[in-house]
Amino acid sequence: MSLQAYPSIVQVPLVGFLSWLVPGLGHILLGHRTRGLVCMVTIIATFWCGVAIGSVQGTVAPHYRKLWFVAQLGTGGNTLAAYALHLAVSPESAKSSKPVLVSHWMSAEVGVHYTGVAGLLNLLVILDAMARSEPFKAGGRRRRQLSRGFP
Amino acid sequence: MTAAMLASLFTTAMELSGRQRFFLMLPLCLSIAIVYKAIRNDSMQRFPIGVLTLWVTIVMGLVAVGGGLWVLFRIMV
Repeated sequence: MSLQAYPSIVQVPLVGFLSWLVPGLGHILLGHRTRGLVCMVTIIATFWCGVAIGSVQGTVAPHYRKLWFVAQLGTGGNTLAAYALHLAVSPESAKSSKPVLVSHWMSAEVGVHYTGVAGLLNLLVILDAMARSEPFKAGGRRRRQLSRGFP
Repeated sequence: MTAAMLASLFTTAMELSGRQRFFLMLPLCLSIAIVYKAIRNDSMQRFPIGVLTLWVTIVMGLVAVGGGLWVLFRIMV
């Protein structure tokens, strides 16, 4: 599957969406395989290590940790999977706005930091993948040519 | 059975001491260094040394900031 076949108006948002859903997938589909795989493995490992440290109930809690959940949403598919696991394990705590006492606060804090940082790192990856897609690259070449005085 | 064991890995929190919490900063900083360098480096040849340099820089910076704040706290309190 190549993204080059899509029109430019579709390609950029599609690359962004795929990078959001699975970190690094946008890079891989654009042909930057090593870069995409490095980002994918690192971000997914960071996110799930955070969940393993703090437990899914203490880490991915959108009603109790609203702003952290927004940061975690940067990893898209991983956060949705973790929230689904939270709902499956303990549906009442998933919707509670009170702290979940399934883990020591220190473990939960470390887990939240890991997952939040993974989400914010994936935002960088999404923006980079969108910037590397063909329409942006063509725009960059055109701007560089213009700045050098070429038509 | 395997799915239940895998799920329990993510539903049971780890017990951490204060010292262990500080050491968990190291892999997090490594993740930041890897992703940043993967995005910024045009060539992957200098990637490992770039990651190592950035990782050491981040950790030393955090240690310096933490040490400075600790000294300030000791002086003022």
